Amino acid sequence: MACSAWAVGELKPWTAGAAPALSLQDLGGAMHSLERHRGKVLLVNFWATWCEPCRAEMPSMERLRKSLEGRPFEVLAVNLAEPRSRIEKFLDQMPLGFPILLDRDGSTAKAWRARILPASFLVGRDGRIRYVAYGELDWAAAPARDRVVDLLSEGLRAGRD
Amino acid sequence: MNRRHFLASSSAFLAAQSLPFPVSASSAWRTYETVTRVEIQWPKGVSRAWIPLPLVEDNEWHKTIGNSWSGNAARLQPMGDGKYGLSLLYAEWRDERTNPVVEVTSRFSTRDRTVDLSKPGGTAELSAPDREFYTAPTELIPTDGIVRKTALQATKSARTDVDKARALYEWVVDNTFRNPKTRGCGWGDIKQMLETGNLGGKCGDLNALFVGLARSIGVPARDTYGLRVARSAHGYASLGVGSPNVTRAQHCRAEFFARGYGWVPVDPADVRKVVLEEPPGNLPMRHEKVDAARKRLFGNWEMNWLAYNRGHDVKLPHSSGPKLPYLMYVNAETGGEMLDQLDPDAVQYTISAREVAPV
Repeated sequence: MACSAWAVGELKPWTAGAAPALSLQDLGGAMHSLERHRGKVLLVNFWATWCEPCRAEMPSMERLRKSLEGRPFEVLAVNLAEPRSRIEKFLDQMPLGFPILLDRDGSTAKAWRARILPASFLVGRDGRIRYVAYGELDWAAAPARDRVVDLLSEGLRAGRD
Repeated sequence: MNRRHFLASSSAFLAAQSLPFPVSASSAWRTYETVTRVEIQWPKGVSRAWIPLPLVEDNEWHKTIGNSWSGNAARLQPMGDGKYGLSLLYAEWRDERTNPVVEVTSRFSTRDRTVDLSKPGGTAELSAPDREFYTAPTELIPTDGIVRKTALQATKSARTDVDKARALYEWVVDNTFRNPKTRGCGWGDIKQMLETGNLGGKCGDLNALFVGLARSIGVPARDTYGLRVARSAHGYASLGVGSPNVTRAQHCRAEFFARGYGWVPVDPADVRKVVLEEPPGNLPMRHEKVDAARKRLFGNWEMNWLAYNRGHDVKLPHSSGPKLPYLMYVNAETGGEMLDQLDPDAVQYTISAREVAPV
């Protein structure tokens, strides 16, 4: 039996090539794409309200976002194929400061191989996926936070700031 | 082998030429959620569990939306077999002081599937490697000896793939029976079934028999192992589930490949289930509900059912146990001993299913 290359709940280097396309609207109607966010480190997180570990890790994503305010970092939380009303009801209970993108037909999740939730991808400032994690992580603590900070520093070393 | 087993086919064959249910090929998608909870209450040493996940591929009748899991396992790892596209979640616990628990939530969409064989076929063809793959034997589904002999006799007057498959379908419906005493779904030892003449069993036996017979004469065929998740919308109590508890609702189906038509869904085992279990039970073969099911279940699958995989001869990773004929149940072991996968109380798992609103 072939083992998957990763265990759940662990950030691993991404080795599967170029980032798939991402072009989705958020709840407010704004369009998001990797190109639009070029120059920032992105945490692209695929989630659903029915996914318990997704719900469990979101507060840590929000803490991470707040701790890095003012730096070129963005969280894009891609909801997998749920009605708007259900998402909004969830957000009433858990207000979040990052965009919620709507993957209504699941095609983006499929392209990103995000069939196991939560699925999280750290995208560097050059638009390349650097790390992937399947399962819940504490994003506000080491080692996940350290990876994000390292990617932000990459931009500094290249003189992009 | 009783000669009369070969006689009961021609009239049924002719009767099955038309479809009584004008099912539209573009029926609506329905979305379901299953929750599988595994808890091992008396762990000894290392405990492990293997939980089948929904079909990996998306197609015209199935789409996996996503899977999520939680629990207190030291290791939770999705795995695939690389041969049949089988996908499972492997869980491992090393501390026997805590009861091992894992819960898997899966969401998927299905829509009813129909292949209208009354219309001329198109250009569907199977690649040579796939044809070889789906006509090959497995450890419990041989394609020589008595299997091939039986298939050749049953399809004497058949010429096309469809005619051969239909002859075999009718043969299985006419000559087998659903045995309520078969544990689980049956393991599908088709050679033993034919040699002993004991053609009773459940879906794992009867549909495997169809697959083996078809493969033995060069008609590509395959089993798909899965789980019933909802009531039947066609008024058949025996072909659906009446409650959200689907812990014991495992069911497998079969397909054959016909040039020009592609993969064609069939389910002769469910025809025999209607005979035995459709109220008031023990229906005669000529009963209108049996007749309608017999016609419908050649070329149609009602998709109140979750497809897991098409795997055979499955070796569970890190398991000390033997290969499984198929993976359709939660499997678990503790202290190096496999628990009885056919007893959800021994393995201590439950599966629930519900339909959820589409997007």
